[in-house]
Amino acid sequence: MRLNEREDELMVAYQNGDNQALEGIYTLLKEPLYSFIFRYTRDEQFSIDIVQDTFVKLQRYKSDYHPNKGKLKSYLFQIAYRLMVTKLNRRSKWRSLLPFLAPVKQDDFHHSDRITVREAVAKLPEIQRAVVILFYYHDMPQEEIANILGIPKGTVKSRLHMAMKKLKVELEGDEYDAGSL
Amino acid sequence: MTQDPFDKDQHLSKRMDEYHVEIPDFPMKPNRWIRFINLLASPAKDPLDPLISSTDGLLLLKIAPIITTAAIALIQTILIL
Repeated sequence: MRLNEREDELMVAYQNGDNQALEGIYTLLKEPLYSFIFRYTRDEQFSIDIVQDTFVKLQRYKSDYHPNKGKLKSYLFQIAYRLMVTKLNRRSKWRSLLPFLAPVKQDDFHHSDRITVREAVAKLPEIQRAVVILFYYHDMPQEEIANILGIPKGTVKSRLHMAMKKLKVELEGDEYDAGSL
Repeated sequence: MTQDPFDKDQHLSKRMDEYHVEIPDFPMKPNRWIRFINLLASPAKDPLDPLISSTDGLLLLKIAPIITTAAIALIQTILIL
């Protein structure tokens, strides 16, 4: 049985009152959700909070999910993405109002070292970063990404193209510099 | 686009594959108390940072308590007299 089908079956079981099924969904989808949020924010605690909040929301609105509208994985990624954007926006508002109270991102870039793919992905504009992460690391088709991010498919395509161009410049340019030393 | 654009660029794909994420062990249910502790423990911007970074600011930071103490003492003296 394919993984997506298994997740969807578990969700139907959970909607029918099987609370053990929720544990199964969590085991299957905790890792992809965490790695998506972590690659986007590079903040471990923030990523844990978002994954937990996503499952809280899933439990609260379990009847809102309909298997015929899409896969459970996409549904959860959509919830997680919206929660993440809301929380990041709230954090940036707090940072501008009370800069000494809002948590700051620790920038652990070492400019003297060879640029890593982590840094290259983190340097991408937020709108392109989400597309690349979902497309490359989660093997999602463009329609699914468009659905998760709430943007047209054409926008996904153009953002992916732009992001790839930037990644090539960052990673291959760096390779060239390293080779010339 | 039906084709994976990364397939055309093997070098880029190879570099992208270097990005691994370690998944920590955490429960499904959030713990508000732990979140609060983490918020308190998270690094925040130092409000005195702009002062410390310049010599004038550092001097101001050093003499500010002396000026404040002198001002309070003066007010107290005026009030007593």
